[in-house]
Parts: sequence; structure tokens; C-alpha cells
Amino acid sequence: MKKFQLPENFDYKNTDILKQFITETGKIVPARVTGISASNQRKVTKSIKIARFLALLPYTDMHQ
Amino acid sequence: MNNYETILIINPNLSSKVNEFKKKFEKLLADNSFEVKKVEDIGRRQLAYSINNHHKGHYLLYRMQGDPKNISEIEVKIKYDEAIIRHLILAVKELSGEDSVLLTEALENKNKKPESDDAAEEKEVKKEKPIDESPKEEVTEEKSDDKEEDA
Repeated sequence: MKKFQLPENFDYKNTDILKQFITETGKIVPARVTGISASNQRKVTKSIKIARFLALLPYTDMHQ
Repeated sequence: MNNYETILIINPNLSSKVNEFKKKFEKLLADNSFEVKKVEDIGRRQLAYSINNHHKGHYLLYRMQGDPKNISEIEVKIKYDEAIIRHLILAVKELSGEDSVLLTEALENKNKKPESDDAAEEKEVKKEKPIDESPKEEVTEEKSDDKEEDA
């Protein structure tokens, strides 16, 4: 299950790493699929949500 | 004293006046006794979705230290500043002195752009070359003729 690269420190600005954890439609990939620890999954989720607010990542692929 | 990271997305139409804006904002921070440790001018960036019908935004990142009591005053000022299309103030444990990924990406893209300009110039040169080549071909033919004569 070493499909995902994890950084030392999670950062909402590092979109390349966060993009691994969203689907094509922009959803956050669930922990049962990513297989990373619960602690890391929480950090990923938090970072993605901040990045979305700052328009670094999309909420969905339906944005016009 | 807490550490804060502030991200501002500025109206891309005011991108040229960003230096004035930065001075104004830094003065506001200084008035509220915030100490700015690092400013990153990330520049214009494509937004993942449109905000107030803007598709691009000028990103600024401030790493600063200050009193949590004064945050609300800054928030109020930011809220009524029409130049700012989105903002976020985050409390962080530590302020890193390194450049953020966004800034390094932006700098890389800037370095790439001149290259693409060079490539465009090369293309122009290439366009010119065929015109030059036709006389050259004649020259080579003449040369080959000469060689044949030598042989």
C-alpha cells in the first residue's frame, strides 16, 4: 500500500502532495482506500480543506 | 505572542499596484504591533474556481508574530477592503523561514516563461532559415559540382 507519498510536515500550500488524496472529481479519498494512518488522514483532510478555501484545489470538477 | 500565517488573495486587476497595497497592509500590521517575519509575494496564480468572477488572483503570504487580541481588528480592516477577494489567518506553531512551495513554484514558472519566449524566438529564426536555406542549397550544389570536377 505504498501508493501515496507522505511529507514530513503537512502543508496546505503543497498542492502536489495533496492532489494524490483527491479524486478526479475533487473528493477526498477515504482512509480505507488511502491506507494511511488515521492521524495522517486527519492532517491530509484538514490541509485539503484549507487549500480548497484558498482556491488552490477545487471543491468539485463542476466549477464553471 | 503567537505565530500567524496570513494568506491574502488580491484582485488580479490591482496586481500592478501590489507594492502600494503591501506598504498599506504592513503599516496596518505595524499599527497593531505585529512583527512581520517574512513576506512572500507569490504573484498572479490561476484559481481552482472563480471567486467573484475572478479567475486569477494575486497571492500574498505573511508570516508574522503578534498579539491574538489584535487579530480581530485586522480581520475587520481586511473584510472591508475591496481589493482582497479572499483571506485566511492561521495560527501556526512555528514560523518556517524557508520559502513556501507556492513561491518556489511561482519562481520556477517565471524562469520557464523566458525559456518559452526563447523557444518562440527560435521558431522565428527557424522560419527565417528556410529562406536562407534555399541559397545555401545552391551553394552546396555548386560545391558538390566543384567536388565532382575535382574528382
